[in-house]
Amino acid sequence: MNNVKVELWMWLGKELGNDFNSPSEMKSILEICVEDGTTVRKLFKNLADRYRPIEENIFSKENNILYPNIVITFNDRVISHSEIYERVLKEGDKIVILPTYMGGDWRGFDIPTPFFLHS
Amino acid sequence: MNIPNGYIGKILRIDLSNKRIWTKDLDEATLKKWVGGVGLGAKYLFEEVPPGIEWSDPENRLIWTSGPLAGSGVFGAGTFNVITKGPMTNLAGSSQANGFFGAYIKFSGFDGVIFQGSSPHLVYLLIQNGKAEIRDARHLAGKDVWEVEDLIRKELGAKEQDVSIYAIGPAGENRVLFSAIVGDRGHVAAHNGIGAVMGSKNLKAVVAYNAGVNFRINDPNGLKEGNKELFEFAKTNGPIYQWGTGGIFSIVYAIGQLAVRNLTTNIYPEHDKMDGQYMRSRFKIRSKPCFKCPLAHVKEVTVTEGDYKGFVGEEPEHECLVAWGPQIGNTDLGAVVMLTREADKLGMDCNEASWSIGWAMECFDKGVFNRRETDGLDLSWGNVEAVKELLNRISRREGYLGNLLADGVMRASKRVGGEAADWAVYSLKGATPRGHDHRAKWAELFDTCLTNTSTIESTFAGVHPQWVDLPPVTDPFSHEEVSTLNAEFNGIRQFDDCLGTCRIASPHPKMVLKCFNAVTGWNLKIEDAFTIGRRIINLLRVFNFKHGMKVENERPSKRYGSVPIDGPAQGKNIMEKWQWMIGNYYKLMGWDLKTGKPLPETLEKLGLEELIKDL
Repeated sequence: MNNVKVELWMWLGKELGNDFNSPSEMKSILEICVEDGTTVRKLFKNLADRYRPIEENIFSKENNILYPNIVITFNDRVISHSEIYERVLKEGDKIVILPTYMGGDWRGFDIPTPFFLHS
Repeated sequence: MNIPNGYIGKILRIDLSNKRIWTKDLDEATLKKWVGGVGLGAKYLFEEVPPGIEWSDPENRLIWTSGPLAGSGVFGAGTFNVITKGPMTNLAGSSQANGFFGAYIKFSGFDGVIFQGSSPHLVYLLIQNGKAEIRDARHLAGKDVWEVEDLIRKELGAKEQDVSIYAIGPAGENRVLFSAIVGDRGHVAAHNGIGAVMGSKNLKAVVAYNAGVNFRINDPNGLKEGNKELFEFAKTNGPIYQWGTGGIFSIVYAIGQLAVRNLTTNIYPEHDKMDGQYMRSRFKIRSKPCFKCPLAHVKEVTVTEGDYKGFVGEEPEHECLVAWGPQIGNTDLGAVVMLTREADKLGMDCNEASWSIGWAMECFDKGVFNRRETDGLDLSWGNVEAVKELLNRISRREGYLGNLLADGVMRASKRVGGEAADWAVYSLKGATPRGHDHRAKWAELFDTCLTNTSTIESTFAGVHPQWVDLPPVTDPFSHEEVSTLNAEFNGIRQFDDCLGTCRIASPHPKMVLKCFNAVTGWNLKIEDAFTIGRRIINLLRVFNFKHGMKVENERPSKRYGSVPIDGPAQGKNIMEKWQWMIGNYYKLMGWDLKTGKPLPETLEKLGLEELIKDL
């Protein structure tokens, strides 16, 4: 088992309930114990199952990916979405999810296919 | 003449050399091609400023233009655009300011005003009810922009919101190359030294009244509906509604984009005592909204703690927070408010001023400068009183350092030479970036080096491309994604800058277009808006080539393009594939891969066939 920390900034951390600690309006923090071998994708899938705001704002269960317009740091380094999914979590890992800062309310808009997946 | 909806249909012309005042009607075909703002301004700049006319030549034009949405009732639509040949790059320079002027100039009877010539002494221009008057401004010589506003209002017997006043401060009068045009109590059109051009024309201020003339709206109900939708959306658009642009400060830090001590580090643990959340919860705040803006992100603040307790100033925008906070090694938020006011009232671009002073502080820290070069100032990191004094000396070109830095950091660092030349942050075209560490924000670094206007032009820094049906950025450090998306995104923000709207109050391009169509009745599609934007970009690119732009200067300085040594973007290296990015971008833009010049077929597609001969 490994203890990891998940920080959700700004509105991405709203209305998550008492499991999360909110030291300020800026962020909500969840310290969670995960089984050995848990990947970041699996962690967020589990969190999206448990917390509706995460399902709505951060992780698409339907597509099994993080939504666009969020920025991720992993152990205080910016990391691309594609690089993070299969990372296996270790003791003390920290994931921070931040909104793309000039906005973030993508709801109501179709998420287009990335250009490199165009046929 | 049939005046299109949303427009007054007239441009005011002023020749300051001989005090000649005349007007020119605007026809529908011209407006449909160039819209307003930067588009209309670019057209006049291209047509009237030939190669060989330098920035300070009386024959240079200083072109102020509003847009069809300004004054229409769209919330916050008081924006105007200034375009000229600017001194930092000696190429085109375009900048916008919010506030009221974009609306008031239309209420005063004009869609814009074009200045040419140079007055033999300091003057200001008064515009009211379809008429203009050039007034003596010798009594305003040396006054800062806040004093100018006070004195002119008193002279006119005008209340605060009766008139919009934009002016230059001492910096513009003394041809500091990064002088800004500042007005409406703290709004700034900053980039590429447009205030120095105004100073070279001996034009101290421009004043427009909030009454007199009106214009037609095609579909008032449609506009009301579109405006409501836009406002509801703007409220959800990030932390800015709640905390101002400073609301992004700590996010920016967390992702390595905060400029700290002239990019020598990315560590700044005091960030949470410098951000918008801290400021709005600790300092006394008063709303100072732009024209009819319920969003009211502009505030006045009273400092409530620290050495500057009791100081009243405009709430620093994010770039000012960076400029007078981490970039100069300062951790006192009250001092940031003080320095923001100081730079604004002297009439300077806070970005170039701060990159220049931060570079000088690094030179002092590393022993390249001692107190002889600094004329006695202790330029240790964080010495805010020394920075205040240096800003004033720069504005007067006083002393060795004041005069050196008055030409901006590229020229200053080249003059000093040695290893210090490698520490300056700028694009090789001659201007500095906005107040971010772009080494962690590649889309904007790339844009800053490729732009025609000295500041970001083609992108919205890769933010929300899906608003215009483009794919999201999934890897901000992908050379492929960044250069491709910058090209694909190119155009829509130039279109926005034609309209007279504020990007904060009106963030969503499709919703803005809905309002535009309600005002004009032209029923443009988003593709049409992109085409207009790309037309402007290509016109300005041809202008710049004609005026000596070199493609080898489309890259960052050594420090600006360096690899962060710590922080969240440590080790990320945009320069690794820079030439590949350039090639990819040129190809997608329809530009020649070797020369960077627009291809004939590109110009044809954009209705710019007449420019082919210019290349």
